[in-house]
Amino acid sequence: MRMLLRLLAPLIGLAMAAAGVLIVIEVVAGWARSNVSRGLVVPWHRWRAAIENLSWDQPPVAGVAIAVAVVGLLLVLVGLLARRSVITIDGPAPEITVTTSPRVVARLVGRRVRAIGDIFSASVTASPRKVSVVAQVWGEADPELRSAVRARVDELLDELPLHRRPRVAVSVQERKGAR
Amino acid sequence: MTTPVAHGSGTAPTDRRTATLRKRARSAVARSAAVDRVLAVVIGLVLLAAGILVALLAYGVFGSARAGRPLLDPLIVDAFRAQPDVYRLVAIACGVLLVLVGLTWAARSLRPERRPDVVLDGGPDTAIVVSSSAAADAVAAQAATLPGVGRARARMVGTDEAPALRITLWLADDADVREVLARLHDEVLAAACASLGLAALPVAVRLELDPSGAPPRVS
Repeated sequence: MRMLLRLLAPLIGLAMAAAGVLIVIEVVAGWARSNVSRGLVVPWHRWRAAIENLSWDQPPVAGVAIAVAVVGLLLVLVGLLARRSVITIDGPAPEITVTTSPRVVARLVGRRVRAIGDIFSASVTASPRKVSVVAQVWGEADPELRSAVRARVDELLDELPLHRRPRVAVSVQERKGAR
Repeated sequence: MTTPVAHGSGTAPTDRRTATLRKRARSAVARSAAVDRVLAVVIGLVLLAAGILVALLAYGVFGSARAGRPLLDPLIVDAFRAQPDVYRLVAIACGVLLVLVGLTWAARSLRPERRPDVVLDGGPDTAIVVSSSAAADAVAAQAATLPGVGRARARMVGTDEAPALRITLWLADDADVREVLARLHDEVLAAACASLGLAALPVAVRLELDPSGAPPRVS
């Protein structure tokens, strides 16, 4: 989303500037050439004829309005979701800010969890607030396995000087069949 | 007798300085997208509101008589014709405003991030300038030698008056994060501040994992 915003921002800015230039040109040209009804750059006389004969309840109006509303909603979503998702780590001094990405924490957690003997695969989702681990074992899972995985994750989170400790959710899935 | 006053007046500037340094370090984490985000949300809300209102009008929510009127209402045309110069001036002002906001926004988005050089105090007649890339490369090269750090990249950010450092460290999977950060502070940044003649240098550290240290997914 942040990359999309970086791409959209100059495009929207340039579109706004172009629209402003056209408005100024057309208004000044219309003012200076008061007896001429044609536009200098924009064919507004044709547009005017079209919208004079079009009422609000005719077909294209509602469709265009909905399209504009959808574009507006997408812009709002892009603006709201273009936040940096970072996990803050306590630095050794006030003038040092340390951050990392949830991906890094997920990879560290995944590596630590996969080191447990019974687990053959683990998928980890991390965010600044929550770390979710789904560990998979072949056959019947040891009842203590879930707490063992949680202990490993807690151990890792203790080692990392995280500014805010995320909640940990662990689930164990049993896979049946031949290995 | 003077203790409370002395404590109050002594710690307040230190706290302010610490808060300023912390704020500068936080600003150095990444280029701010706050203006882009606010403008995108504002424009989006305007489009959303306009679209919804026109759609409601088109579907007759505000009355079928109103929905049956033409888009270019004769009442509005008459109002324009009554005072044409006023509306022309308003239109020109709106156009100029759009140009100014649009160009400022586009220029701000496209402008590369500043990389301030560091100016050392060389006396009254001498100015010693350390280029931003030289200062950043020296810090990165030193940081890359720390145990547990596979690779490091640094760049100066901020302004000439208030420079800051952004450094990315690619750590080995088994690196001790606390120790790496402590050694970065004590050995690398302290040496950089001393050699650049800076009392304090706000630093934003980004930690990544060194991809070369990742275990193979299939063995």
